[in-house]
Order: sequence, then C-alpha cells, then structure tokens
Amino acid sequence: MSFWTSHPKARWIAPVAVVAVAAVTPYALSASADSGLAPRSASQLLTDVRSSTVATLSGTIVESADLGLPSLPGIGAGSGSADLQSLVSGSHTLRLWVDGPDRQRLAVVGTNGESDIIRNGRTLWTWSSATKTATKRTLPPRTPESGTAPSTPSGLPTTLPPTPAAAAAQVLKAVGTTTSVTTSSTATVAGRPAYELVLTPKARTTRVAQVRIAIDGVRRVPLRVQVYSTQLTKPAFEIGFTSVDFGRPDARQFAFAPAPGTTVKNGDVPEATSATPEATVPSAASDTVEPTVVGTGWSTVVVAKLPADVLAGLSGKAPASQGNGQVDTLLRLLPAVSGTWGKGHLLSGTLFSAVLTDDGRVAVGAVAPDQLYAALAAK
Amino acid sequence: MSAVEKATATAVAAEGRTEVGSRHTPSARPPAVSTRLLRSEMRLIMGRRRNQMGMLVLAALPVVLAVAVKLTEPHNRGNDAGDFLSQATSNGLFVPLAALTLEMTLFLPMAIAMLSGDSIAGEANLGTLRYLLTVPVDRTRLLAVKYASLVLGALIGVFIVAIVGAVAGIALFGTGPMLTLSGVRIGFGTAVWRLVLAALFCAAGISALGAVGLFVSTLTEQPMAATVTVMIITIISWILLGVNQLAFLHPWLIVEQWMSFSDLFREPPLWSNLLTGLGQDLGYAIVFWLAAWARFTSKDITS
Repeated sequence: MSFWTSHPKARWIAPVAVVAVAAVTPYALSASADSGLAPRSASQLLTDVRSSTVATLSGTIVESADLGLPSLPGIGAGSGSADLQSLVSGSHTLRLWVDGPDRQRLAVVGTNGESDIIRNGRTLWTWSSATKTATKRTLPPRTPESGTAPSTPSGLPTTLPPTPAAAAAQVLKAVGTTTSVTTSSTATVAGRPAYELVLTPKARTTRVAQVRIAIDGVRRVPLRVQVYSTQLTKPAFEIGFTSVDFGRPDARQFAFAPAPGTTVKNGDVPEATSATPEATVPSAASDTVEPTVVGTGWSTVVVAKLPADVLAGLSGKAPASQGNGQVDTLLRLLPAVSGTWGKGHLLSGTLFSAVLTDDGRVAVGAVAPDQLYAALAAK
Repeated sequence: MSAVEKATATAVAAEGRTEVGSRHTPSARPPAVSTRLLRSEMRLIMGRRRNQMGMLVLAALPVVLAVAVKLTEPHNRGNDAGDFLSQATSNGLFVPLAALTLEMTLFLPMAIAMLSGDSIAGEANLGTLRYLLTVPVDRTRLLAVKYASLVLGALIGVFIVAIVGAVAGIALFGTGPMLTLSGVRIGFGTAVWRLVLAALFCAAGISALGAVGLFVSTLTEQPMAATVTVMIITIISWILLGVNQLAFLHPWLIVEQWMSFSDLFREPPLWSNLLTGLGQDLGYAIVFWLAAWARFTSKDITS
C-alpha cells in the first residue's frame, strides 16, 4: 500500500500489465512446442494415416482463406455467411459429426444462420436456415466397390497399392522429384499433439511456399492442412480442427426431421456414380480446345481456350444475362495487362495467378504472372 | 436499520439524499462486506426519472416488435434482425431474441453509457463526489461498488428486454417448440433456459462496456462527455467489425462476439464463440476497471 501511495502513477502498471498478458498469452501457448512425440519419418506417417481406423468423430473446424481474390458481390460475403459457396474468402466455422460410413453431418455456421448436410443411411437432408428450406434426397444403394469407409480421410485414391506402406512409398516417390518432404513433431492442433508433414516445393517460381499437413499424434488422422504463400506470412489457406473428439456422436445429430412451417423439397436423386466426388465434376464442354500444359510440378501453367459462347458473353456481344453481368464486373475489377503475348486481364492471387487474354485464352498456374506471360508467349 | 448498518453507514449526499454518516462505534464491528453502499447506489440509479424512462424505452421495443410481427404474420420474411424474426411463429421466444439482437447494437450500450456517465463524472459534476470521499469509504471500495451497480444495471436492462419480450411473445404466439438455426426443434423449457443464458451473455457484454464507461467517467467531470465517449467507442467498434480488411483487429473489439448468443440456438449449441466472448468481456472489465482504479485513486478530487 505504501508503494502505491508514494508512487501513485505506478498504479497504471496494473491495467497495462493485464493488456500485455492478454496479448502475449496466445503466442506463449502456441510456442510451448514440445509435444513429446517420438520423431517419425514421412513414409511412416503416410503409412499411419492409410492404416488409421478412426470411424467416429465430432469436432469444430475453422477454415480461412486469403487467396487475394477481388471481393465480388456474391462471393465476398466474408465471415458471417453460412452459404456453402462463400467458403472461398474470409474465415468460416464448420461442425462435423461422423459415425461410420453411413451417418455424417456437416454444419456450416454463419453469424445468424446455418447450412446443414445430414446423411443418415440412404437419406440425405440439406438444410438452409436463410431460406428455411429442407431438401431430402435418397441416395442409391451402396455398391460393394464404393463401400470403402471414410476411415481413410486422407482421400488417397483406392487404386493405390494394397498395403499402406507401399502406398506411402509410391506417393513419396511421385512427389520426390518436385517436392522435399520433411516431418516435424512439434505441432499442436485442437489441443492435441500432432505430427506435421511438410511439403516444400523445390521450384523457386511457384507461389506456394509450403504445405503443412498436421496429423494427430495418437489417432493418426489429418487434423489440419495449411498452405503457405510466398506473398504472405500467415497461411493463405488453412482448414483444421479447433476441437475434436473421437467418441461416437449422439444419434440425435443424424436424426433430422423438418419442422412444420419450413419448406420441404424433394431433391433430384443423384446418379449412382455421383457418390464419388470425381464424377460430380462436369465434363469439359465439347467445343473446348484441349488445354496445353507448360512447365512441370509446382510451376505448371495450364493454357486453355475458352468456349465460343463464353467468349461472346465476355465481349458483350451476347445478350446480357445475369452470369455475363457478373463476369463483366469481375473483368472490370481486374487490372488490364499486355505484353508480347497479347492483351488481357490479370488475376494475381496469393497462391495462384490467372490471365484471361482478350482473344479468349486463359492461363492459370500456382506461379507469378511472369510465368503465365511466358507460357502464353510460348504457345 | 440495524446497528451494524448504522455503524458502517456512509450514505451519500446526492440528489436529495441526506448525509447520515457516522463514526464507527467500537462495540459494533462492521461486517466484512457491507451491501449498504451498493443498495444506496441502486436506489439512486433506479430512482432517477431519466433511467426509468430509459427502461420504458428498452421495454417498448420488444412489444412493438411482437405486435408488428403479429400484424404482418403471413408474410414476415425480409428482416434486419437476423433469422429470429423469420421464425415459424409458433413460439413466442423469438421475440426477446430478436429484440436483444436489435437492442445490443445501440439501445443497451446507450443505457450503460448513461449509467456509467453518471457514476463518477455525474457525482463530480454535481459536486457530490467530495462528500462521498469525506465519509470513511476507501476510494477502491467506492469504485468497486460503483462498478457493481453498473453490472446490476446491465443485468436489469438486459432482463427487462428479455422478460418483456418473452411475455409479449408468449402472449401473442404461444409456447410451441422452437425452431433452431440447425433446422430441428427444441422444447419450450429448453428454449427458456437457453434464453436465460443468452440474456446473461448479453449482460456480460454490456457490463464489460460498463467498465469502459467507468474509466471514461473518472477522466471527466461532464457526465454527458463520458456517455458520448462510450457511445462513440461502441459505434466505432461496430464499424471496425464490419470491415473485413481489419480482421486482425476484430478479436480485440469489445463487440466482436456480442451477437454470438445466437449460437445457443443451434442444435447442439456451439460454445466456442460464447466462451471467446466471455473471455473478451472479462478482459475488458479487468483492464478498464484497473485503469479506472489507477486514475481515480491517484487523482485530486476538486469537485
């Protein structure tokens, strides 16, 4: 007390100290590095992930992206939106419940809304609180071939060699020429010690500085993926659990029944093949010229020619529909660039760049614009 | 009035209160914590006509909201108050939630800004702060009591909105199951408990703003200046929160998680943002109470 009395100004130390503690604590927590995990090689980790048998989990996932895209009306919805399409920008929270291959629920959390996808057996509900609409779809019966449980969340294709170790070796061999693969055992994700698989492109020209995949130290499932750009110090793209529990979720999570007063729709029954994500990607339009690939590995640039109808829309010759209006808006936002290769508009993102030339060519790659110009000129 | 209370009596001359302070009598030992000063403070707050009018304004909005929704029931789609207003209107509890969503942006911060402006600067402005400090009340204790009264004020304000809204909503829309943001329904009892939690969460945010107001109130002798400053801080925080390019700043804004009480109306509730919000509120409350303490206990009281 006597100290405070003789040094009244010293009392200001107290609030300042609390601010300092609040500012430093998050860094101190994340820097308490030693997770106590024994070192493990990249091939061991890949083997672990492939043979991991986690079938039940529930958790909260935070996704954030800073791709350097211009903010568009419609996709620049930022953090608050619960729209599934809005995930390309800002930061978003998702909640996931998994109980085996047949029961899953994913909720996209917005400030004042929520979108849900609930799968229970062959029934698939989607719910949007913004439109208060529930859509029901009945999935086709599971065929034996596609019956692989999502207990291999790494998303490795099932055509890989049968043993996990062989698969790991094959993956490492495939990426080894372009990428140096290292591991670390100091990460903490969702409060759990985790290994990290660090992929560093060997090419200097790519905008991807590093890809870090955190793998749970005990359960050996991926918990977080971070993609670092050469343009930013923070990850340009990050998706990871902020909390995770490997227990079996309550059956209530998968029991969705639309409430009275909401709109209930019956969705189209997807075709049998669309259970695999590859099949849902629309096949290229028939009049698209086969794209040219320039460069290899991380510095690959794809040069393609747009279909004629899209081009007509871009040049404003076609009747202005809503879609074309959006493209026009986008083009006006993008800076005009020109060179020996021609003229066009440049989209320079943090992880990739794209050039749309006035004669309808598109060049895209995870590289700086200079590489795109070179690829366009070479064509 | 017991002898103990008389012994610690430090009632304060302000706005018609008469000074009845007396010296400690050796025989009657004062209790460790006396609520007398706090009760006197609350009487003062609740007795002011402007505060009573403020409470009426707070209570009016949910009633107006409930009646408006009832009158336009068949087509009450587009709205600004989040998804609560567009609830299938079989459960009246959406009314207090929509009212809280609306009032947390401006009315409730304004209410606590008025109270905090009065708490120190108001007394200084009326010349009663000197008298407060001549009675044997430690300045730290006075500040603690002032802040406790602001917290109580925040609770009263938020619960006026919640209770009036709930009564109006139930009267007009009934007590059916409530539709959550996740699309499934919860029973009325569960919904009531979650409404209470939501109101407590809102009160925590308003109390944190009260600490900011208490600090500003120690800096000036003009209550209006303190009130306006707190409102400016609130409004600037909302504006900054709306700018996506300043995302790095958002975790430091007092209002960042104020609307997170809607996370209670998911199934199951999402706690992470609520806990973050409570942490921010606690941080603001501690820092600004300490700042108020550093200022108030070391400054010369001249009026």
